[in-house]
Amino acid sequence: MDGYLITVLSNIGMISFVALSAYILLLSGQISFGQQAYFGIGAYTAGIATVMWQWPLAAALLLGAAVAAIAAGVVGLATLRLSGIYFAMATLAFAEIMRIAADLFVYRREIDGIETGPDGIEGFRDIRYFFANEVSPLQTCLIVYAVLIAVLAAFFLAERTRAGRFLRQVGEDPLLAEVQGIDVMRVRMAAALAAGAVAGLGGGLYAHLMTYVEPKSFDIMLGVHTLAYGLIGGLGTALGPIIGVLIDIGLLESTRIFHGYRMIVFGGLVALLLIVRPRGLLDEVAVNRIQQALRRGRHAGD
Amino acid sequence: MIAVDLAQNTLDGLMVGSSYALLAVGFTLIFGVMRRLNLAYGPTIMAGVYLGTASFISFDAPILVVLAIVIAGSAVVGLYVERLCFRPFGEAARTASMVASFALWMQLEEAATHLLPRHMNPFPALTTSPPIEIGPLLLRVDHLIMLAATLLMAVAVTYLLARMRLGLAIRAVIDQPRAAAIVGIRVERIMMLTFVLASAIGGIAGFLIAATDTQVTAMIGMWATTKGLVAMMLGGLGSVKGAIAGGLLLGVLEAHAQWFLGPQVRDMVAWGLLFVLLAFWPGGLMGTKALDRTMAVGRRV
Amino acid sequence: MLDVQDIATAYGKIEALKGVSLSAAEGRITCLLGPNGAGKTTLMYSIAGVLKPRRGTIRLGGTDITGQSPAAIVARGLALVPENRLVFPQMSVAENLEAGAYQRRDSAEVATDIERMYARFPRLKERHTQLAGTLSGGEQQMLAVARALMSRPRILLMDEPSLGLAPLIVEEIFRIVGELNKDGVTIFLVEQNVHMALRVAHHFYLMEQGRVTFSGEPGKLAEDEVIQRAYLGTSRPTSEHKTG
Repeated sequence: MDGYLITVLSNIGMISFVALSAYILLLSGQISFGQQAYFGIGAYTAGIATVMWQWPLAAALLLGAAVAAIAAGVVGLATLRLSGIYFAMATLAFAEIMRIAADLFVYRREIDGIETGPDGIEGFRDIRYFFANEVSPLQTCLIVYAVLIAVLAAFFLAERTRAGRFLRQVGEDPLLAEVQGIDVMRVRMAAALAAGAVAGLGGGLYAHLMTYVEPKSFDIMLGVHTLAYGLIGGLGTALGPIIGVLIDIGLLESTRIFHGYRMIVFGGLVALLLIVRPRGLLDEVAVNRIQQALRRGRHAGD
Repeated sequence: MIAVDLAQNTLDGLMVGSSYALLAVGFTLIFGVMRRLNLAYGPTIMAGVYLGTASFISFDAPILVVLAIVIAGSAVVGLYVERLCFRPFGEAARTASMVASFALWMQLEEAATHLLPRHMNPFPALTTSPPIEIGPLLLRVDHLIMLAATLLMAVAVTYLLARMRLGLAIRAVIDQPRAAAIVGIRVERIMMLTFVLASAIGGIAGFLIAATDTQVTAMIGMWATTKGLVAMMLGGLGSVKGAIAGGLLLGVLEAHAQWFLGPQVRDMVAWGLLFVLLAFWPGGLMGTKALDRTMAVGRRV
Repeated sequence: MLDVQDIATAYGKIEALKGVSLSAAEGRITCLLGPNGAGKTTLMYSIAGVLKPRRGTIRLGGTDITGQSPAAIVARGLALVPENRLVFPQMSVAENLEAGAYQRRDSAEVATDIERMYARFPRLKERHTQLAGTLSGGEQQMLAVARALMSRPRILLMDEPSLGLAPLIVEEIFRIVGELNKDGVTIFLVEQNVHMALRVAHHFYLMEQGRVTFSGEPGKLAEDEVIQRAYLGTSRPTSEHKTG
């Protein structure tokens, strides 16, 4: 399989994690510009675990997700009462604080005679787990997608539970939800934790795939991009943010026709698309229609 | 002597902060009338500054011409953003218009790199006079000009809002847009004019910073966005006076942080302060009145 | 003066007005009564241009103003005192009045009019530098009326002026309505306070569920029947548009 294609697919897979992370918060009615912080926390944590503490990959990824979730929880305690632009700014502030902190974070150790570890602005090199264990690029890509599909499955299952409905209700109208007996803060916190974990998981994969991460990778651009993916792809289902990622990275990156003008085209397209469909491509209305069409199709077969 | 350091830093901070104040005023005006965040604001300023820079590099334009081009460029690009990102979206699609403004941010940044591919570009200097010494304190003349210009702009904007018919209309639209329509104000037109005005003000801020740095980098869009946002939030959303205060405060805090803790910590101080403020005092310097009015922003996505 | 024909206006998918026709004669006070949710405010906003009707026509002094912008309609001599007052809370009383005169260019006359407003509403004069958001409900109502009058309208629309106000203040508001009318202002008034409304109205309509169900003069229907239909919306299948 073509090496370039594998890289693009892997990128799509990994960025999807952050996109899904922002999506969860969007469902709960919050706009977050800062999910990239948890992506970064997961990346660094998982990288440190495998490189410096010799942990196996699965454990490292889980640790990354857990630490990211804890961080999200702490931030949530401080910010979940906020709404709208205040919440958005607080998440951005946290993400930037983390990014700058990473610029200053140095944790070096000698492993197998070579000094490795996060080195401030220079970043964190030689996250060579896959390389050392002779996992091919194709296999790493498959691992990314395996995890992604597992996460997506969890999403689809969750959507059908009461928790999933509560989440959307809180997002639609928190006052009404409160009146109906839903503990809005609890739901939001749960959403924040889940979002942190998902981003952290993706970050861990990212670190091992790229073998090198630096604080610059987790900047505002990433945050706003991933927020946009969900809003473009539509919030009807978890596929929405993935569609957004596909459109940006997949189509435009790989066609290369617009080389050098990619953002001009993408930017213009997005703006125009949103005028026509302000709630994204696969918004709740569209998803509803598709579901009804599927139901009719099923019954027609009876 | 520490007192001298404090005084020097405070002075420097006020002067740099004055450019932040202008940025924040622009953000605030747009946020006030549109009730949504314009993420393309910084890049709008970048576009204006880049156009000015291009004229300087290509035609060796004199500084006043560069200023005119920067202001005009920012205003025109601001109009483009307004047409594409804000005019077509009504009350219900606020988030969509914010995302659209982000999309335009991307667009403008890329267009800018096409105009000036190099990361760093020269910009005419505000002045080449040596710094003024007042006792142990050093005052850069270009910084003084920047501070004076900002004060002038602040007075002008305040006068416009308080005493002129257009200012009354802008305040009415910010305060209660439906009532503004009912008394016969053409709300959409006022929104557009405010947008263009805010973009022009931002352009002036960008010009001042570029002219004191004598260079323009590709980061100017991001710089304008982050400083403007933080300053606006520090001062309390929706208040022009707050925006000015927030900008000056941010400048002073950064100057001190840089002196005592190093340049890297400097940016963290701004974000850290903002985070703490939001966690405990979401209303900012101007209190919670502005918060209540803009809580409508916090409704459904 | 104001002639509404078969107006239908929707809020998203809900059709709030299903074909409303009524008229307000020049120099008279015309009232529209009806229960909550009948569509009264929707009608007011449709006339004032804030909402665009899906069909029908609205004529002001013979000119078609259907679907025009609020600013254009104000220019034609219509002023609305909206539901819930909608004063400019962060602006002073004086500035609210100035805003009311926004479209006028004759600043000397505007200043005189402001003085006239202060004469008619002394409590506003007392508080003329105070922020409108800090006024009491009754004072805000007077401010909203004064603001609307600043444009020297040919017709004044008033949407539930008594809403949320104490009975004494309501009396005062309606006294002012009567005075304004005597000075020659045409008034079209939407109300829930049936008793007060019928005391001043020359002609009234009943609206229920987006349609006009009765038209006549006070006295044509027994007041308790009017109250019943205005508050409970118990509409019997009477003829759609009886002219009184």
